[in-house]
Amino acid sequence: MRRAFLNRVADMIRNEPDTTFFTVDIGMWAIRDVLRDFPERCTNVGIYEDGMMSIAAGMARRGLVPTIFGIQPYLIDRTLEQIKMDLAYQKLGINVIGTGAAVDYPKYGYSHYCAEDAMVIKSVPGCEFVAPGSARQFLQLFDQSYRDGHPTFFRVSDHPNTEYDVDVRFGKANVIQTGTKATVIAVSVLLDEVMKVCRGQDVTVLYYTTLEPFDRETLAANCPSGKVLIVEPEFEGTLLYDVYKALPGRALQIGQVAFPREIFRNYGTYQEKMEYYGLTAENISEKLKALAE
Amino acid sequence: MNQISKTLRKHALYLSHKCRDGNLQSVFSCLDIVWTLYDRIMAWSVETAQEEDRDFFIISKGQATLALYPVLIEKGMFSLEEIGAEIGSFDSRYCIQTDLTKFQGGIENNAGSLGHGLPFAAGIANANKIKGSPSQVYVLCGDGEFCEGTMWETCIFASAKKLDNLCVIIDDNDSVGAMVDMGSFVRKLEAFGFDVSEADGHNMEELETVFRALRGRADGRPKAVIAHTVRGYGSPTMTEHDIWFHKAPNAEELELLTGEVDAF
Repeated sequence: MRRAFLNRVADMIRNEPDTTFFTVDIGMWAIRDVLRDFPERCTNVGIYEDGMMSIAAGMARRGLVPTIFGIQPYLIDRTLEQIKMDLAYQKLGINVIGTGAAVDYPKYGYSHYCAEDAMVIKSVPGCEFVAPGSARQFLQLFDQSYRDGHPTFFRVSDHPNTEYDVDVRFGKANVIQTGTKATVIAVSVLLDEVMKVCRGQDVTVLYYTTLEPFDRETLAANCPSGKVLIVEPEFEGTLLYDVYKALPGRALQIGQVAFPREIFRNYGTYQEKMEYYGLTAENISEKLKALAE
Repeated sequence: MNQISKTLRKHALYLSHKCRDGNLQSVFSCLDIVWTLYDRIMAWSVETAQEEDRDFFIISKGQATLALYPVLIEKGMFSLEEIGAEIGSFDSRYCIQTDLTKFQGGIENNAGSLGHGLPFAAGIANANKIKGSPSQVYVLCGDGEFCEGTMWETCIFASAKKLDNLCVIIDDNDSVGAMVDMGSFVRKLEAFGFDVSEADGHNMEELETVFRALRGRADGRPKAVIAHTVRGYGSPTMTEHDIWFHKAPNAEELELLTGEVDAF
């Protein structure tokens, strides 16, 4: 997914003179040619995410389309006030691409973990949050939103889906299958795990890659049971508000498979973390069984 | 003090009184700088306020926004009566800080959080370079604001990007002295690669001379003007009593302070 993104950036810089790209000292090798050929618009800018966010806002004020690339916790946790004041409050659009989704740097500790990213960005009105489940989906979602005038945050994961790589639309959920006993909200890279459990079962599966704005209409039209299982690779509760708002006045039963809201003090591998925190087909199956019965 | 300096201060007093809020010490500190820029330096007018290649004035020390309204009133952008009638009310577009989204020209950024205006201005200046625009960017910062890390991050960026179309004005009224010993702004900014000048921030002729000299230097270095100022300048009461850092005058105080400005 990271390579697909960088190739798209190189293409964008070469062909669209109103676009700019700042990298926070990562990914340079993949785009070394455009860094060399377009130094004014494509820059390894240095390691300072918060000031850079304001600088990019200033460039957007002049009609440019800035894109920033860095590591998710520094792009989001460190810069929250810049996102709020310089981008959202002033209604200025930039694109922020973050690597290091949730626990993608599993050995680096809490500094590099960022399961809270979507929850943080969803707290700032006007921002958009996109979590593609594959490289192809990244390209589709980027192309549909990168000039939309909003601050748009892309979560680039190193662990994409491999079985289910469906076409996606920005702001729209996919109805993967329909059923009567429950509705499963599968988010981003967890679609494969969800489908290991749900394929052939009498449950609805909705696939979300845009977390903000959340597609309430598709959920409202596909939840006959009032039973919802949210399967998301973010902090537990990130989509709870949206589910509640999509189904007003309904008696709901909600189950969740997600990262717990706690400080992760462990290391190990990505897979070990997913198993430890229960982001697995086995746990999805158990939660779904409890919900559907 | 010249007549326009008095007029601007009296507008600010009146607006603060009507709004029942304000940071007048900070406003009086920088009014002469803002007027000099709009009246004598910047490529800007009411008629060209939305043109592509206009100069930009960015207010980074947002607490001094009440210095911007009087200048824009005297330049014909807004009316004193209009702002005075509504400032600070629920649906007004005028208040202690600006909101860019409520204006079509005249206001270039949202202020309020310190450490934001300078990087935002640098972004505009960088965009001007990319677009090949002659637009110059002036950004007014407080000396105390330079405790924020984003200010120095931006100094690195502005120097590395050779933003000689960016002029940073530090309203140096020694606010920072109550916090830390900042040392020399001149030496610090020169070390960052800036072309630095100093001026009496209440002397419009001196300010004009400095700004004109810097404007002509396309030497790849970002510009900085250390403007030495006095908090509350124009009112002895305000200068002597720091309660006026954040206080609005009531009717009686409005009369007293207006009289002081007239007599200054």
